[in-house]
Amino acid sequence: MSNATVSRLLERRSPFFSGYEWVTLALVLATFAVPFLTVNPQIMSQTNLILIAATAALGVYIMLRMDLMSFAVPSFMAIGGYTVAILSIRLGITDVFVLAAAAFIVPALLAIPLGWLILRLKGVYFVLVTFVLTEIVQLLLFEAAPLTGGANGLVGMPAVKIFGFELWDNSHVLLTTAGLAFTGFLITAIFTRRYRYEFAAIEKNDVLAESLGLACWKYKALAFAVAAGVSGLAGFALVNMLMTAHPTSFAPMSSVNYITYTIVGGKASILGTLVGAILLVSATDYFALSGELSPGLYGLLIIVVTLVAKGGVIGMLTKTVQRLRGRNGGGLTNPKPALAEGKS
Amino acid sequence: MEGFIATGLIGISLGSQYTLLALGFTLIFGILGVVNFAHGGFYVMGGYVAYYCSAVLGLPYVVALLIALAATFVLGWLFEVLILERVIDDHQATLMVTMGFYLVLATGILVIFGAESPEFSFPISGVWRVGDVYFPYANMVVLGACLAAIVFVFWLVYRTNVGRSLRAMAEDRTVASALGMPTKILFPFAFALATGLAGLTGALVTPILALAPHVGDPVLAFSFLTVILGGLGSVTGATIAAFIVGLIEAYAAVYLGGSKGALTLFVLVLVILVIRPQGLMGKEVRRA
Amino acid sequence: MISGLGRLFCGTLLASAALSASAFACELKIGSPAVLSGPAAQWGMALRGALEFVAKETVEEKRLVVNGETCTVSVVAIDSKYTAEGAASAMNSLAAEGIKVIVGAVGSPEVTGMKPIATRNRMVAMVNSFAKDAIGPQWPNVFHIGPGPSGWAGPIIDKGLELYKFDTVSIVAPNDQGGTDIAGVNAEIFKQKGVTPTEEYYQRGTTNFAPIVTRMLAAKPGAVDLASSPAGDAGIIVKQLRQAGFTGPIFRLGGPGTEEIGRVAGGYNVLQDFLWFEPIAMDDNTKALEEKHIALMGKPRPENADFFRWVYAARMMVKAAQAAQSVDDAQKIADAMRTLPVDDENIGAGHWIGQKFFGINQEMSYPFAIGVIQAGEQQPYVRAEAANEG
Repeated sequence: MSNATVSRLLERRSPFFSGYEWVTLALVLATFAVPFLTVNPQIMSQTNLILIAATAALGVYIMLRMDLMSFAVPSFMAIGGYTVAILSIRLGITDVFVLAAAAFIVPALLAIPLGWLILRLKGVYFVLVTFVLTEIVQLLLFEAAPLTGGANGLVGMPAVKIFGFELWDNSHVLLTTAGLAFTGFLITAIFTRRYRYEFAAIEKNDVLAESLGLACWKYKALAFAVAAGVSGLAGFALVNMLMTAHPTSFAPMSSVNYITYTIVGGKASILGTLVGAILLVSATDYFALSGELSPGLYGLLIIVVTLVAKGGVIGMLTKTVQRLRGRNGGGLTNPKPALAEGKS
Repeated sequence: MEGFIATGLIGISLGSQYTLLALGFTLIFGILGVVNFAHGGFYVMGGYVAYYCSAVLGLPYVVALLIALAATFVLGWLFEVLILERVIDDHQATLMVTMGFYLVLATGILVIFGAESPEFSFPISGVWRVGDVYFPYANMVVLGACLAAIVFVFWLVYRTNVGRSLRAMAEDRTVASALGMPTKILFPFAFALATGLAGLTGALVTPILALAPHVGDPVLAFSFLTVILGGLGSVTGATIAAFIVGLIEAYAAVYLGGSKGALTLFVLVLVILVIRPQGLMGKEVRRA
Repeated sequence: MISGLGRLFCGTLLASAALSASAFACELKIGSPAVLSGPAAQWGMALRGALEFVAKETVEEKRLVVNGETCTVSVVAIDSKYTAEGAASAMNSLAAEGIKVIVGAVGSPEVTGMKPIATRNRMVAMVNSFAKDAIGPQWPNVFHIGPGPSGWAGPIIDKGLELYKFDTVSIVAPNDQGGTDIAGVNAEIFKQKGVTPTEEYYQRGTTNFAPIVTRMLAAKPGAVDLASSPAGDAGIIVKQLRQAGFTGPIFRLGGPGTEEIGRVAGGYNVLQDFLWFEPIAMDDNTKALEEKHIALMGKPRPENADFFRWVYAARMMVKAAQAAQSVDDAQKIADAMRTLPVDDENIGAGHWIGQKFFGINQEMSYPFAIGVIQAGEQQPYVRAEAANEG
């Protein structure tokens, strides 16, 4: 109760959405136009993959508000994706709104007891335990064969429907993904901005925040659940694109990719997550043409960006713009200098 | 009963391999505060250097081991000085560069040596056997190397001036360098020592198991598991945890089967962490 | 906003524009989602090597002539990472380049991901997968490069029973699709032959198999089947089985890679008694193919013996394009393929099967071989006739 007032007192100090949120949401919204501008399957597929990757990476972004690095994204993507596959194949539910709600709610609910277990861990322990969690979920997918189809996954999903209209071809799949991604980004933007001061306090020093009466565990658990829900939406989008829920789509090592998108793009703002996904998914696709060299080139790119652009791509751009404009930085760059430079 | 003992011996040899890997991993974390995602890469590289020296150049295996140790030590040193040092204060950035470096290293090995396993066998091949209980001689050598490594690391960290400086630096880097400790040399040294250990492990273990460019992937997962269980940065904890993980893995796999065994192992680690969030020996690190 | 997004994609756009500019000449473009990184890389490299060889062979020997014009053949191989979405993404890139003819991918997860894309974009594909739903009536233009264990495990088990005496077998495989689908079928066939099977699954990424081996041997099996365990894993399993004192025969009813298994295990004398499925009956004819590869490409063939099956597949695709008189009409090429006899100048003739197992008659079956190592000595391959669904 009392901690809610913290936000209210400070509300006047900065606008609810900063320029980053507006730009990010506008960019995601713009992808709805892609199917009407091109029929090139390559562009549609790339946009699709970028949106899925970015939405998944939001799970990392949310937890990083409190300086917790989470590897758990593939676990919750799997829960969301398999929930959708089971509902549509076994129960014949194909309404996109019902499925999206399920893909968000089921992982979010499961995240609460899990969060209770692992949110007590701090720093690197939390990181490593979320990694163990992805391994466990991967094994459970194999072991729970009657429900999950085991190693073969769940194949042959029917096309999802919106108001009874089937969404089946390339452009419809992209529209579905864009809708899910936009939902995910909107939820994340509202959630992280609503509690920005609480999260900032926890990030800086959670012991101090706790002693000042902030119920840290509550915010951590809430964030963990929301992150899980958003990952679930990404899982839905991925499963919908492949028309299959397959364990290889949620491999433990894929968690590393989502973390990379967030950090390379710039962890200080939500725009960083999107930019990181755009940059790295495009790079992966481009490098795939060089065959066996592709992971090495990708590795090299990550090293170079990390060394050259501290604070990620967006962090570097922000600094550059600020330097150019002097102290008065306007428009895009003014809202969050404190967070952007928090870790210099 | 014989099966039970045989399984225990397997668990011990697994434990000795994990100790060798986890020691380096935990040293890097304890002293530099870095989670080294490239650890498995140095393991693979050690294996390939030893293979190249012994199978292709025809050098004796022991010489090949030393060259593998030296090569991974030097590469670790260079990586620390040229790349890691620039971002050492930013945990997430260190994660990014070590991971990127792992990808580069694994790809380099794939391009140079090809995707298939070469012929690289341990020079000693016999098996000691009593009834159903058996223990390959090669595993005894690894166990011996593991004990030697443990003794060496403990001696270095707790009995030498270098070790005292390293521990001081682990506590507070700025203060340590203000007091005149040569951090410019000691940090790369600590990192190189750990990567050298990983390389030596690779050179010792890959001929017993298999050598291929991708064998570093599981190394990372098991090093993770071991060091979280042991308490990050704790040398004692890592050693104990490595043997616990080895024994659980062996018994669970034998009595429950392959994938259920792995599941048991992961769940058990999760449970232990819920009871003791700082790992088995977590407290010791911070104070050490 | 939109132009900004467009600029982000400009690299991709430029690349596809450059590629489509050359489409005016008669050119058969074979696309391939091939795994080129990670543990399965050698399979993808064998696939890519085979395609590049067939492309060069077709061009040099002017094998593809459409409407009187001699066609060129090019290969676009994209890393599909041995995952469903990697393959799906690779297939979309191939579709964007206007490629209609696909040869690959090498494994079940990839084929799962690529089939919907192939169908959506009206492509014709020749795939390899041991999955129980590798092909089927839902994907009318997807063909299967060769039969799974249902087609060849029987004769190999017969050969084993002829050489050795055993009535129990322990089957070991990884706990994913590549492992479970094949081990399950193997178990079924062992049972039909009067051998009692037990199945053991390990987690992919396991490096030390001593515990699994102990578990397998606790049941005192007369024989062991490595099924589709990857060669590296299979090598360690064999080495540790022998260290643990197992002396019975070992089957590998899953795929090629015996040389690599031998290298990892520490020599053929460790394999001791070993029987495996060799997809191709090696003889002077296939040796001639190896020499042709050296002559044309200036280097030996990729080591993985799946190379031969992919040469077979790619040549069939070229023949189908020739028969259809089209390099980009997937429907015509698929129709032509169905009427072609299964035949290869180096590997031998066979026939189409699959109706019984998959419900669609689009699986190539051709002669294969049974590899045998007895007392550490490799024996001549036993040639087996093409599997038939009788």
